[in-house]
Amino acid sequence: MPTHAGTPLIEASDLSRVYHRPRTSLTRAGEAVHALRGVSLTVRAGERFGIVGESGSGKSTLLRLLCALDQPTSGSIRFDGQEITGRPERRLRFLRQSLQIVFQDPMSSLDPRMRVRDLVAEPLVALGEPVGGRVAELLDQVGLPASAADRYPHQFSGGQRQRIAIARALAPRPKVLVADEPVSALDVSVRGQILNLLADLVDELGLTLVFVSHDLSVVRHVCETVAVMNGGEIVETGAVDDIWAEPRHAYTRTLLRAVPTLEGFL
Amino acid sequence: MLSVEGLTVRAGSVELVRDVSFEIGPGERVGLIGESGSGKSLTALSLMGLLPEGVTAAGAARLGERDLVGVPERRLKALRGQDVSMVFQEPMTALNPLMRVGAQVTEVMTLHGRPAGQARARAVELLGRVRLPQPEQVARAYPHQLSGGQRQRVMLAIALANEPGLLICDEPTTALDVTVQKQMLDLIAEVAPALLFITHDLAVVASVCERVLVMYGGRVVESGPIREVFGNPRHRYTEGLLAASRLTPRGTRLPVIAGSVPAAGQFPDGCVFTNRCPHATPACEQEPALTGEGHAHACRHPADRG
Repeated sequence: MPTHAGTPLIEASDLSRVYHRPRTSLTRAGEAVHALRGVSLTVRAGERFGIVGESGSGKSTLLRLLCALDQPTSGSIRFDGQEITGRPERRLRFLRQSLQIVFQDPMSSLDPRMRVRDLVAEPLVALGEPVGGRVAELLDQVGLPASAADRYPHQFSGGQRQRIAIARALAPRPKVLVADEPVSALDVSVRGQILNLLADLVDELGLTLVFVSHDLSVVRHVCETVAVMNGGEIVETGAVDDIWAEPRHAYTRTLLRAVPTLEGFL
Repeated sequence: MLSVEGLTVRAGSVELVRDVSFEIGPGERVGLIGESGSGKSLTALSLMGLLPEGVTAAGAARLGERDLVGVPERRLKALRGQDVSMVFQEPMTALNPLMRVGAQVTEVMTLHGRPAGQARARAVELLGRVRLPQPEQVARAYPHQLSGGQRQRVMLAIALANEPGLLICDEPTTALDVTVQKQMLDLIAEVAPALLFITHDLAVVASVCERVLVMYGGRVVESGPIREVFGNPRHRYTEGLLAASRLTPRGTRLPVIAGSVPAAGQFPDGCVFTNRCPHATPACEQEPALTGEGHAHACRHPADRG
């Protein structure tokens, strides 16, 4: 188990993001929505960092900023020592190579008209890197047969599709894997397979994992550090086990109490 | 209250639900759990007479004195929303976006013969009963002006409008946040007459229901009181599902069920779980019957008690 003695890899400080609702009057500007209010966090190399929050908590906005898919209204994000905010896309190449994302719903994140071979190779092609035998190697890593390469996403089950999405994310040998609710759309019997696979890959490849979920019990299984978000702020952050055992913030306590558990009824 | 005998649902030659039988007593809350493709939603839809085109149900389902399966649409229309009603998973698609919420609650009552004025007053009362704050104002709102949790409460108000004998909820909280889910579950448990609660989430079913039916591959593979089934599972599928639901501490392997749920019509013959079961033997090629009083299971090599 890697301790988080690693050097800071992602450093976000005082991030804010304000969206504007469409204007409803000629004389007044549209209402401002503060999606993120002064969020700071540090993810160290080798760490498994969880972000927990409900819809509207700002976790998706934070994720988009960390992946440079959106620009903050104020604040800064340093990735591996380099500032990534305010850069044009052509100067984000190093980030696209080092940080890859697995989305919640593989049905909508994989192009239905592309074969698995092309889907998995696409990040490499986009970065102008040789593909070679990498696809077969990746499919093997995520536990899919080599024959999967010639098929289309719809020919796979939900769990297998998520394996394809993981293979695709790993293609450019990233340092950081960002997983946005990767098991929320999966059946319980398949969820364990994907969580085990993620844990194995993070270990084997020495990845840093940023894992976003609405479910604190899943985060507790996967991550060592967690940030709990509510209303665009991080209300509590620290070691998962400490927060699980002794939540200090009122919202974290509400969240923990609301999660139904089997143990509570048996 | 509700008694289902040998319910079978087919799409052409493919059997999607096979020989499902169960009963729900007055005031009883029964859970139906299963993963996607297990046939749980089809079971519910066949009770409501809402099966999609080309899908047919056979067998018998009786609500009190009245038949639910194999009766003409005209008769079903009179029952639906009156004697049996349903709350769906996604309130945004189940509600009419062009109609005010109050009018949608009123509609289900006027359709079943209640005078309009009376129905309108009762709609506001119902919105209050599902604990929507300021029900008079909510009644004038359109669905998009409400949050997901509020919309689901409106669905519940519609379902309860005619005091049905049976409420069917199909994954009513899956689209909701956990804190909202808890309030909704508490509310459903409080207001439901007899309840058939469909979900894939074992912990959710444990918090709402007294009895549970476990479905896999279109069949009920285990049934009984929640405490018994979850505390002492007999069928190997139930056992695997329970193990997979418990998230162990970090750094440990999660127990898993091998493979994935087959597509409809591709389940093995005999016991539907054989191709994923670590205990399967050639004997499992013969379909096991659901046996046992109270706590029943359909497995040739059941897990040990204790």
